[in-house]
Amino acid sequence: MINATKKWIFLKISGAILVPLMLWFIINLSSIYDQEYTNVVIFFTNTTSKFLFSIFIINAYFFSALSISEVFEDYIANDKIKNVANMLLYVSAVAIPVITIILISWL
Amino acid sequence: MQNKSPLSPHIQIYKWHISSLVSISNRITGIINIIVITLICLWASLLLLGESRYETINLLLDSSIGKFLILGITWSFSFQILSEIRHLIMDLGYGFELKTTKITGLIVIFGSIILTVIFYLIGKNFF
Repeated sequence: MINATKKWIFLKISGAILVPLMLWFIINLSSIYDQEYTNVVIFFTNTTSKFLFSIFIINAYFFSALSISEVFEDYIANDKIKNVANMLLYVSAVAIPVITIILISWL
Repeated sequence: MQNKSPLSPHIQIYKWHISSLVSISNRITGIINIIVITLICLWASLLLLGESRYETINLLLDSSIGKFLILGITWSFSFQILSEIRHLIMDLGYGFELKTTKITGLIVIFGSIILTVIFYLIGKNFF
């Protein structure tokens, strides 16, 4: 299997997983965004919410990194610039969710 | 080194269709969503600073600007949800007829607006 096919399959699987997680998160966000500090903390410290939020951000960054790298492929001609852009993209796609999950586990 | 593979032509040379509008909107909302998710990660992390510092963020989110932002985010997420379902159905080999692509494109556009209202009202316990 060539890399492009693997990438496409990963994109489709992560996209399918992302749909129910986005649905769950957007309804909860509408519910908590204007709540007091305590209620927001309760949401992020609840085991189920914390687990689903962690899966949601990991999957969202994974999906976005694959999608945005496709945009780079389509619109960036220079290989050096494209490689740097992809590297920054993949590093941030790992770093941001990992840092967030560690920080919310301290709540 | 310059890559010799062809790049996508500039979008301005195409005549606009429902499918192209949905496709470009899918990419735009995808980028908006990941920026929003980054800000949400920051928001969740800022909870560590404690209740008194959270007051400033709460003031912004509880204002009209905050409500407008949340409605915008809800629309952007709703658009991605419907667009992703449309793509998954097309990946299974359905919905390639010209008429069907127009109908499903319109469902994504108008459905995202309807879903925005529904999701927001569910979140606010209106049902």
